[in-house]
Amino acid sequence: MNFDNETYKITDSKNTGILLIIVGVSVTILSAIGYFSNSAQFFMSYLVAWIFWVSIGLGALFFVMLNHLTGAVWSLVLRRINESVMIALPFMAILFVPLIFGLHDMYHWTHAEDVANDAILSQKTGYLNVPFFLVRSAIYFIAWFLIAYKLYKTSITQDNNPTPDQIKAMRRVSGPGMVVFALTTSFAGFDWLMSLDAHWYSTIFGVYFFSGGLLSSLALLVLIALYLRKKNILNEMITIEHYHDMAKLMFAFTIFWGYMAFSQYFLIWYANSPEETIWYLHRWEGNWKILSMTLVFGHFVIPFIGLMTRTAKRNLVWLTIISIWLIIMHWIDLYWIAMPTYAHHGFHLSWMDLSLLIGIGSVFIGIFWKFTSASAIVPVNDAALTQSIGFSNN
Amino acid sequence: MTKTSNRIQIAETPLITGNQTFSTITDKVSSITEQKTPRMWYVLFGAASSLALIMFSLIGYLIWEGVGVWGVQIPVGWGWAIVNFVFWVGIGHAGTLISAVLFLFRQKWRTSINRFAEAMTLFAVICALIFPGIHVGRIWVAYFMFPIPNSMGMWPNFRSPLLWDVFAVGTYFSVSLMFWYVGLIPDLASLRDRAKNKIRKIFFGIVSLGWRGGNRQWKHYELAYLLLAGLSTPLVLSVHSVVSTDFATSVIPGWHTTIFPPYFVAGAIFSGFAMVMTLALVARKIYGLEHLITLRHLENMNKIILVTGMMVGYAYSMEFFIAWYSGNAYEKFTFINRAFGQYAWAYWIMISCNVIIPQLFWSKKLRTSIPVMFVASIFVNIGMWFERFVITVTSLANDFLPSSWDYYQPTFVDIGTFMGSFGLFFALFLIFIRFLPLIAMSEVKGVLPQADPLYYGHNGDGKGEKHGK
Repeated sequence: MNFDNETYKITDSKNTGILLIIVGVSVTILSAIGYFSNSAQFFMSYLVAWIFWVSIGLGALFFVMLNHLTGAVWSLVLRRINESVMIALPFMAILFVPLIFGLHDMYHWTHAEDVANDAILSQKTGYLNVPFFLVRSAIYFIAWFLIAYKLYKTSITQDNNPTPDQIKAMRRVSGPGMVVFALTTSFAGFDWLMSLDAHWYSTIFGVYFFSGGLLSSLALLVLIALYLRKKNILNEMITIEHYHDMAKLMFAFTIFWGYMAFSQYFLIWYANSPEETIWYLHRWEGNWKILSMTLVFGHFVIPFIGLMTRTAKRNLVWLTIISIWLIIMHWIDLYWIAMPTYAHHGFHLSWMDLSLLIGIGSVFIGIFWKFTSASAIVPVNDAALTQSIGFSNN
Repeated sequence: MTKTSNRIQIAETPLITGNQTFSTITDKVSSITEQKTPRMWYVLFGAASSLALIMFSLIGYLIWEGVGVWGVQIPVGWGWAIVNFVFWVGIGHAGTLISAVLFLFRQKWRTSINRFAEAMTLFAVICALIFPGIHVGRIWVAYFMFPIPNSMGMWPNFRSPLLWDVFAVGTYFSVSLMFWYVGLIPDLASLRDRAKNKIRKIFFGIVSLGWRGGNRQWKHYELAYLLLAGLSTPLVLSVHSVVSTDFATSVIPGWHTTIFPPYFVAGAIFSGFAMVMTLALVARKIYGLEHLITLRHLENMNKIILVTGMMVGYAYSMEFFIAWYSGNAYEKFTFINRAFGQYAWAYWIMISCNVIIPQLFWSKKLRTSIPVMFVASIFVNIGMWFERFVITVTSLANDFLPSSWDYYQPTFVDIGTFMGSFGLFFALFLIFIRFLPLIAMSEVKGVLPQADPLYYGHNGDGKGEKHGK
């Protein structure tokens, strides 16, 4: 991989992005073979894989806005990488299209007859109906596109023609953007995941969905930075101090995720009301129990202990391991949320779970790479860049 | 670096204004505790302590007569006492957030406000603890709240969130006290060194624990401070989460909802910042601290008020939406009843103060206007008290059984005790600002440009030519 030290652009591997997208689309299409043998499994696997990448894109979008709002300097060298992840998010709307054909397989509330005979579901038809569901999904993506596009475009303009207006503009977008983000992400969580079990409800679900995605996007950010470092790109700009700070945030958001997960579980367990506990009971049936415990230890206890010390946060090998681990845990989390509505008595992994995750992932990473290689890999003309590179924790 | 010349800086307003030096800061802050007590202080202290006295008298009356002197009845068994408890505990949270969480986030602007915000935490927790303490009925056996081994083999119910409160708030108070005191030590030593009379010298000599400001002392001190900040940070989340479980572990509609723990924490920080704002504005005016607590500090606080206010608004809307979405008749009723039932007035006060008023702070002009922020901070405090009132009372007054519905009204004892708790709070705060440095001098010095080792030259030894043109 060649890197131009003057412009901070990756000069070769222009085609890698396209290649990844083509591979991803092919794998996704090949996975559709599974549709003919088991359509419900296909759509459920597709949903989990698709939401997994969407949630990571959302995490990146949040992180970019958060940094603009707080005026953070340390993270500036990472901004462009995050922006490239963020801008891949709106493209995921295209991959939503196949899901439209699987609504009947996935969402019980689309079965008109069952809904009519169900005292509770029949009350929800004002919200849970196919046209409104699709309109809402469209609104989410339009909102995310508008925010992400504005932020990305302003940031690229800053590379070529820096004025203080750009920083101000990005901050101005991020404020209301954050409000829109909070609402759209929460309702996306309600619509795409919580309504799989149409009877069940939890007020914290939106924040829970968000917290997992943010944690994974931080882990992905670490992995991307480490990959570039391996290729001797930005290895003098993204220093150990930046990794230390990213690890601190991963630690903090591990706790944040645990806090959300615990709040939801604990209050439902304590009140012990059947209409709520049923959701957890499903996840305690058969070998789902194993995944439930995996989340407790794998998504919280292990990263919590593993990221606690300063030494651990500054050990790049360890950070690689823990970041991959956290990303796997996030996928398990989403799988554990979605899949029990399809596989009631226990999970059995399908080849489609893996192939679609890789397929959609290749598309996502391909788009990311396309944007990464299209412009400088750091915001070269941001005023605080030098300060960001020289930042130290001591 | 390429194109360095092209980069354009956005000028940052300095944290501390008025061209301060190390000694002007010491003089400014220390002199507040050294000068003759201003007459105004006596007036304010007289008023505050009179209010506190009213509270103590009413508590005496309550203990003599029993909790029947309050407005609590059936079905509203939890009235103002619980509302006040949650209100005061919440106020405390801003102090811990400023001193611990913002420290970990390297937010240097915290230095001018952390000291009195932490003191405020302690006083708010003291006020909070009074209410459940006197709510137990037989106050002479209040020690039963603690798991003390006894010959009757009686233990508190460990599964009860009320017991967790005892532990959570107790831990919170002791850790906050420790954190506050550790932070005070270098400043206490400054007061000792400046002391003109023997009593002051001996007193501050003892409480400053032999601080000499040596290199090694600072090293240990800073490590201890970091560790205490790390320990206090989970407390910001845990205390009000536990308080929220007092409600949320039940099966009462409007109380039992999974978003309660983070929602309570956001609300606590929101109300606490509003209280810090009110106190900061008054203190900076009276003692002329405009150069130390600058507009930039106030603006940042207003931004946090805006953010946490939006979080609280988010929680309100999620609750409302999910109540409808649940399809549960009781949930639906509770929320419609809150907005349009017999306590609708309280609900709309809450919405106006907590959700609508903070929206003013989107405008830079308004969030840097002292009168606006002063009024807004008071409204936020009113709104947050009403939030706890709405939660506690509406769900109880209209419960599952319409035949038992009732309208809860406080008595003069409820009102007097609550007003009196403000008296206690302000009296303690006045004592604090009279005798102890209300701004962390050593920390503020650390954010001055002079604290940068390169300020006086590029050797980092503090010698050589003065840097900068």
